[in-house]
Amino acid sequence: MSQTRLARWLLAWAIATAVACAVVHHAFVLDVDEAHPRVVVASVWRDGALLARAVLARAADRDPRLDAALSASPGAVRVDESIVGEGPALAFAEPVLALSFVPGRDGMKVTLGDRTEYLTPDDLLARQGYDKGISVPSVQLQAGVDVPLALALLAERFGTSARDLVERARFRRIRVVRSVPGTPSPRVVTADDLRDDDVREAIAGMARYLARGVDEQGRFRYLVNAPTNQTLPGYDWPRHAGATLFLAQATALLGDADLGFATLRSASWLRDHALVRCGTHSCIGDDALVDVGSAALATLAFVEIARTRLDPGYALAVPELTEFLRSQQRPDGEFMHEYDRATGHPVDVQLLYYSGEAVLALSRAHALLGDARDLDAATRGLAHLVGPAWSFFGSRYYWGEEHWTCQAMDDLWDRAPSQPALDFCLGWQAYGRRLMYGPGDSPFDADGAYGFGPVVTPRLTPVGSRSEAGIATLEAAMRAGRPAAELALLDAQMRRSLAVLIRHQLHPGPSYLFVDPLAVDGAMPGSAVDWQLRIDYEQHSGCALVRWLALRHPHG
Amino acid sequence: MLSRRAALVFGIANLLTAALVAFGVFVALPARWWPVDGAAVALVALELGSGAGLLLRAPWATRVARAACAVALALGLFTVSVLAVTASWLGGVYGPVGMGGAVILVLVAALVLPYVIVLPLVQLIWLRPRAEAKG
Repeated sequence: MSQTRLARWLLAWAIATAVACAVVHHAFVLDVDEAHPRVVVASVWRDGALLARAVLARAADRDPRLDAALSASPGAVRVDESIVGEGPALAFAEPVLALSFVPGRDGMKVTLGDRTEYLTPDDLLARQGYDKGISVPSVQLQAGVDVPLALALLAERFGTSARDLVERARFRRIRVVRSVPGTPSPRVVTADDLRDDDVREAIAGMARYLARGVDEQGRFRYLVNAPTNQTLPGYDWPRHAGATLFLAQATALLGDADLGFATLRSASWLRDHALVRCGTHSCIGDDALVDVGSAALATLAFVEIARTRLDPGYALAVPELTEFLRSQQRPDGEFMHEYDRATGHPVDVQLLYYSGEAVLALSRAHALLGDARDLDAATRGLAHLVGPAWSFFGSRYYWGEEHWTCQAMDDLWDRAPSQPALDFCLGWQAYGRRLMYGPGDSPFDADGAYGFGPVVTPRLTPVGSRSEAGIATLEAAMRAGRPAAELALLDAQMRRSLAVLIRHQLHPGPSYLFVDPLAVDGAMPGSAVDWQLRIDYEQHSGCALVRWLALRHPHG
Repeated sequence: MLSRRAALVFGIANLLTAALVAFGVFVALPARWWPVDGAAVALVALELGSGAGLLLRAPWATRVARAACAVALALGLFTVSVLAVTASWLGGVYGPVGMGGAVILVLVAALVLPYVIVLPLVQLIWLRPRAEAKG
């Protein structure tokens, strides 16, 4: 083939590809018109169950089925899902169909013969059907609609099989705007309009949610499926201790006796049931192999309980744990993250977060008890974390999760200020600012959150943990006298993150989709569509909010 | 006749391409799908054959290399088209792809382009049968 002919072929290919892209984009982009909904899918819900549904021409319309359901079921709620846009959905392969819907905003319009059924976002949210379609475990990615679940729900409504739907039905995408008639729209918290009362109310909601879940022994409801209010299996000592830490902070802030009782119950479970021997020291765990993170976070919780005078006696347990933490430290400042109780030896492995947790725990313990060995260990640990532990070609372009490191940096600032650590944390926050979604960057309500592409719903826990560290960094930077422009950037970044956390808190959220709305009121979901609640979601977000109030009102 | 230096450079480049395609498809991709796996096997076999032939100065090496380049180019152009159309589809469904999405798409395109479009194009031009045509 001659060069000229080859060039012509390539030009033709480029033009064909560009035209195909334009056609495909045009075919799938929605023409959204919120002022003129095509139809309104009106549903009556109660306790997470769909009682009645009607497709209406206008939102103000009534339907006898809806009225009957409302009058027969006290507490039932009518919810209107206005269809403001409609477009095609590809159904030739399950992953493609799964990715054809924006989580939380899009539903399905399915036509079989002369009958049409709608599977709305509320239908899918009630069954937790988003972000379950495809899974790539190696990068912890989950995205797309749970197609088998969607097909099962639709098959039940059509009275046919899922296979029949796949073979004969026509699938379309609908964009939905939700409203609850007769209910005023709640105030939308934004970065520019973030009030102290919003923050305080959010903290109270998260703390009370956690406190309600503490049983008589002192264990939390570790993992809860919000729509069904089912407690799911699993437990984790570091997260138990972290949740206890947040409860102690919230108790001190709010002066709520019920929170105090819950804090002491969960702390006593740690002290009386999880405190075990690791050689000549005490540690936290119930297995042969225990980790530094559990001891570090238990130390943080005990210090907070003692510092805030909730129960000063917890100070007695602190030295035992800090001895263990110091014994796990290597000469270069790094920590050995595990201890084998069977052989009586530390295991020199490094896991996520634990070194930063240990440094912060030692710093706080020193602030409470004044043991110089704790301060020395914390200082050396921090120097390692921001120095040799993160020193490689490209370390300015790739960062780990340093939320504990930067809280430790701030905590040590008055006693052992580290300029390299402050620079490190400011660099990490600047990196986060580049990754942070802005308004209109994604189809989600995600200004202030972090994400990797449009199909992945932004997770909220990293927003909480990075905010804890960001506010700590802001506080240290203020004390260090950093330039006002630099402080203003970080301040704005934190306001955006805190606002997105508060907007997504289940307070109350779409309570009509929950079997027991009061049971999950105040909780932080994993994301806008992941309503599986784990105790560290409230811990990180709540601790960040507590820090924010402390920053704004340093004298209480 | 292809020069010794050109045969060496193209031979090594084709072996490298075979290794990269094998790694990209059979190690980096998290799932198996026969259209992709089958195309990758065919391309890897052709690239290995042409690379080895060029390095060994086999008489059939140039013809196999041209075939390998044509297949690589066709697959490369098809892959880029599919990626571009997929990005357009995602853009249509989800709206803005954000900086993260854009970076990922550009990086994927940048990883694919040199090996399955630029290199085959250069080889096809270099290896075109000029001498034979002139007799």
